[in-house]
Amino acid sequence: MSQEDDRLKTLQIARSEVLTGQMSRRAFLRLGLALGLSAGTTALVACGSGGQTTQPAAAPTGISAGTPSGRLRVASEIPVQLDPAFASSDAEILILNHVYDYLVDVDAGNNIIPRLAREWTVSDDGLTYRLTLADGVTFHDGSPLTASDVVWTFNRLRDATLQLPTADLYANIVEITADGDTAVVFTLAEPNPFFLYDVSDNHALILRAGTTDPATTFNGTGPFRVVEYRTENRIDLAANPTYFQTGKPAVANLEIIFFADQAAAVDALRGGQVDLVLRMSTPLFQTLQQTPGFVAVQTPTNGFDLVRLRSDREPGNKPEVIRALKLATDREAIFRQVKAGLGAVGRDSPIGPLFSAYYSEETPLPPRDPAAARELLSAAGYPDGLKLDLHVPNSGDRPDLAVVLKEQWAEAGIDVNVIVEPESVYYGDNGWLEVNLGITGWGSRPVPQFYLDVMLVSGAVWNESHFSDAEFDALAATARTTLDEAERTRAYREIQRILIERGPIIIPYFFAQLSAHREGISDYVAKAFPGRTDLSVIAV
Amino acid sequence: MVNLRRIGRAFFADPATATGTIIVMIFFGLALFGPSIAPYSPTAQNVELIRQPPSFGHPLGTDRLGRDLLSRIIYGARDILILAGSGTALAVICGTLIGVSVSYLGGWLEELVFRLFDGLLALPALLLALLLLGVVGPSRTSVLLVIVVVYTPIVARVARSAVLSLKSRGFIEAARMRGERLSYILWRELLPLVMPTLAVEAALRFSYAIFLVASLGFLGVGVQPPSPDWGLMVLEARNEYALAPWSLYAPAAAIALLVIGVNLMAEGVRQTLNE
Repeated sequence: MSQEDDRLKTLQIARSEVLTGQMSRRAFLRLGLALGLSAGTTALVACGSGGQTTQPAAAPTGISAGTPSGRLRVASEIPVQLDPAFASSDAEILILNHVYDYLVDVDAGNNIIPRLAREWTVSDDGLTYRLTLADGVTFHDGSPLTASDVVWTFNRLRDATLQLPTADLYANIVEITADGDTAVVFTLAEPNPFFLYDVSDNHALILRAGTTDPATTFNGTGPFRVVEYRTENRIDLAANPTYFQTGKPAVANLEIIFFADQAAAVDALRGGQVDLVLRMSTPLFQTLQQTPGFVAVQTPTNGFDLVRLRSDREPGNKPEVIRALKLATDREAIFRQVKAGLGAVGRDSPIGPLFSAYYSEETPLPPRDPAAARELLSAAGYPDGLKLDLHVPNSGDRPDLAVVLKEQWAEAGIDVNVIVEPESVYYGDNGWLEVNLGITGWGSRPVPQFYLDVMLVSGAVWNESHFSDAEFDALAATARTTLDEAERTRAYREIQRILIERGPIIIPYFFAQLSAHREGISDYVAKAFPGRTDLSVIAV
Repeated sequence: MVNLRRIGRAFFADPATATGTIIVMIFFGLALFGPSIAPYSPTAQNVELIRQPPSFGHPLGTDRLGRDLLSRIIYGARDILILAGSGTALAVICGTLIGVSVSYLGGWLEELVFRLFDGLLALPALLLALLLLGVVGPSRTSVLLVIVVVYTPIVARVARSAVLSLKSRGFIEAARMRGERLSYILWRELLPLVMPTLAVEAALRFSYAIFLVASLGFLGVGVQPPSPDWGLMVLEARNEYALAPWSLYAPAAAIALLVIGVNLMAEGVRQTLNE
């Protein structure tokens, strides 16, 4: 019994990682017994309010050609698990991202950019990916990087017997082969237009073939090498003099200092003990905005809070009720009250403005009209209004969102009883999938398909609104597999229309990722997932 | 018999007691007439007036959702006084009934009941409260239940100590010899003599109950939002202290003031009854 409990707990924790964008859905599904537990704990803590800034999507340009100089001190949450295959929290990925390299990276604009792989080709059928590695890359121990290291790393990540969280993510890979020393070929079972994003999964940092203890060895190819790691205290890194990208890193020393809470990290920033804090709550951010000597940076993300009503039973099975809730909601006011105007206003679809190629405002969002909402409720058989329990996890700004909704919906005759629960209770025993009306936080992902596949298609693993719509399912399937970008764009636009018209969900806003640094550091480009921030370009 | 006027005079002769009483009376006034005094609804939000510092229109300022803090404090007074007051009253009634009767009867029943109470008292009040709320779930009724469960054993023990010193006294013996019924002995002979001790205890319990309600609100396990619960208001304001300190000061000051008032009054009760 207790083993069963542990397992449930692990899965709950892992779930929060998926929602915060730290683990893939398939990785989650794959997750076996106690594996990865400790890593997950941090992620739970890390799952706070999101944030955003407006920054150019372009790659950083300010890399100095000179020798690395200066020291950069970054505040971070406490890492627990530093084996890349298991690491998941911001703090863990932040460290590993500077000790190791990915094959390809995702820039602040969600574009795939080269890293160890300098170029790649995709076969016409979309089933074969050939990536060519950079020349002259060496591990910190001096040995050269070859294609066999890449093959070894990915085979480890997809080895089902090791029960690693990534095995399902890469289940679609038939074979990985080395083509000489400098090229790697991935063969897929079926086309996956988002495969390069999978190659850039947080766990997919390239290790040296045969590494026996990745959690403590730290033998990467990355821009920094580990000087000293003091558990729960700090990690000191020094520039890798033989790094294959000239001009990186810009600083000679990188110190990542661990803090148990955000307020302490911000205090350290104000006190001059750290130079950069990658994640903080809205009020802390607003305080720093008013403090001279500091630069507060908000970065748009596609993370959002989802207000959803179960559509498979009363009262959500009546389309009028769903339309009434949408009509009773003032998203603009929610955005200002709950998010202080940081981030972006939502349009009830997870395909947010950050996905500029897919995002559409074609379908108008009906303006708020509580009186019309009241009439709809009456037509649906609720002439005296509705009484609903609203379950909300006690994290981020979600309780505030619940309170604002209660006030807005009251005008339409909807009496909401707010029930604030600890995350362990809200997600425990899959309670969040059961409740009629709830608010769930979803993390930012580089591509929108993830949300549709796990949250909205019929029978999806986390279809919390129990939405089931044949037209929607067909469009989501098209978007998932088509190699025709124009067709995918059309499908996504139709999906947005359907969700606005009849989706049992309200997405009032998208988060901003909130960070801040002292004046005097340059070329900082924040990312939606702060752990993937590239500190090697920052100059002090 | 007790001379009420004399007690009243002695009570208000002490400035500390008088101050405490006045403070408590003011809060009771707010609780009673709150809806007609409060300038706004405690839950009404104004998106144009987020985190406004104290002003003529909003004497205590507004919070992060644009709600008037003065109105929230006033309505909060009603909430906390009703919860803490009725909780204390129930705990005192239960504790007295159990404490007086069980300790007078003695024997195995007394052993059983008070060992059980000792067990409950071994846990810190707040911990016990959290355990209970974990079981029954957070709500207004749960908080009331928690106050009763946490404070009944304490009141019962106080009642017991008073009864133990009285039960072997001559007049009780005499009543028993006269063949008086048990209820007569308990409520006519014992209770009046235990009352002063219990009155002091009740006043003290009331101040602790206010604190407990506020603590549970602060820990987020008590009254649920958007109720204008003072403890909850402190919790919510804590993260934005640097942005809107007034939203933290107002509820914190209200809790402190009410607890001080009740304590001063309790001290007055104790002194007066001891004279």
